[in-house]
Amino acid sequence: MSQSSVIGAGTIVRGSVEGDGALEIFGRVEGDVSMSGDVVVGEGGAVRGNVSGEKISVQGAVQGDLRAADAVLLERGAKVVGDLSAPRIGIANGALVRGTVRTEGEPALSPNKRAAAAVLKPAVFAAKPVAKAEPKYAPPPALEDGDDDDSGDDERQAVMLPAPRAREREAERRPPPPILPSLGKGAKAKKKK
Amino acid sequence: MAGTVIGEGLSIEGDVTSDEEVVVQGNLRGKLTSSDAVSIGPNSVVQADIAGQSVSIAGQVVGDVTAPERVDIQAGGRLVGDVKAARFTIADGASFKGAVDMEV
Repeated sequence: MSQSSVIGAGTIVRGSVEGDGALEIFGRVEGDVSMSGDVVVGEGGAVRGNVSGEKISVQGAVQGDLRAADAVLLERGAKVVGDLSAPRIGIANGALVRGTVRTEGEPALSPNKRAAAAVLKPAVFAAKPVAKAEPKYAPPPALEDGDDDDSGDDERQAVMLPAPRAREREAERRPPPPILPSLGKGAKAKKKK
Repeated sequence: MAGTVIGEGLSIEGDVTSDEEVVVQGNLRGKLTSSDAVSIGPNSVVQADIAGQSVSIAGQVVGDVTAPERVDIQAGGRLVGDVKAARFTIADGASFKGAVDMEV
């Protein structure tokens, strides 16, 4: 059994790191990290380079691709600029990612991709899509709740406008008949006179 | 707890700079600099210049070793390189080849 390794908070490694067993990074690594075991980029840890391992857990910052044989887990506070690739990927609320995310490596790809996508979307955009979805389905109430009264009134007017217009049109259509009779009356009167 | 542990299965190729204790039990090739103590474990293989507050060598080291405080080669340790330190000990059973500068 190989012993686990730690790169402490006060340590900077410039070069490649590779080996068996687990590695915890609380310091800085400027180079690729390739382990057969688990890799933890702890809080305050920073890696500029590609990271590969059995399972990669990130609470710190990584600028590079993450590739794991088992899982990539981005915890709260993680900042990753790079691509993620693993059979299982977890992105916690509060983790930042910029890059492509691919779950791959397990036999049944399409269901897993769907499942992963279903899992990932809520995880990444958890709060936002729900908030966006609500206004789409019921715009007036959400806007009334969230915005000022003015904008809410505008929305109400916008929503209500079609109805008044329809009523006006109906009203416009209705008056002519009364007018015509009156004209008719006048005309009849003139005719009579 | 040591600040940084380069474990038995780990290989680093490059420079390691630290301001905390560094323990090497794996392989290191490049350069190792620490402002605290450096310990080279029994099964480690290091091809690097080492600088630390104090350096203890129980494994194989090829490279120059510099320490303002002390350098100790433990029994079973092997050092090929120059040593510059205020204090320097070579334990019985250790092997060493190189020059010594004790800043006399």
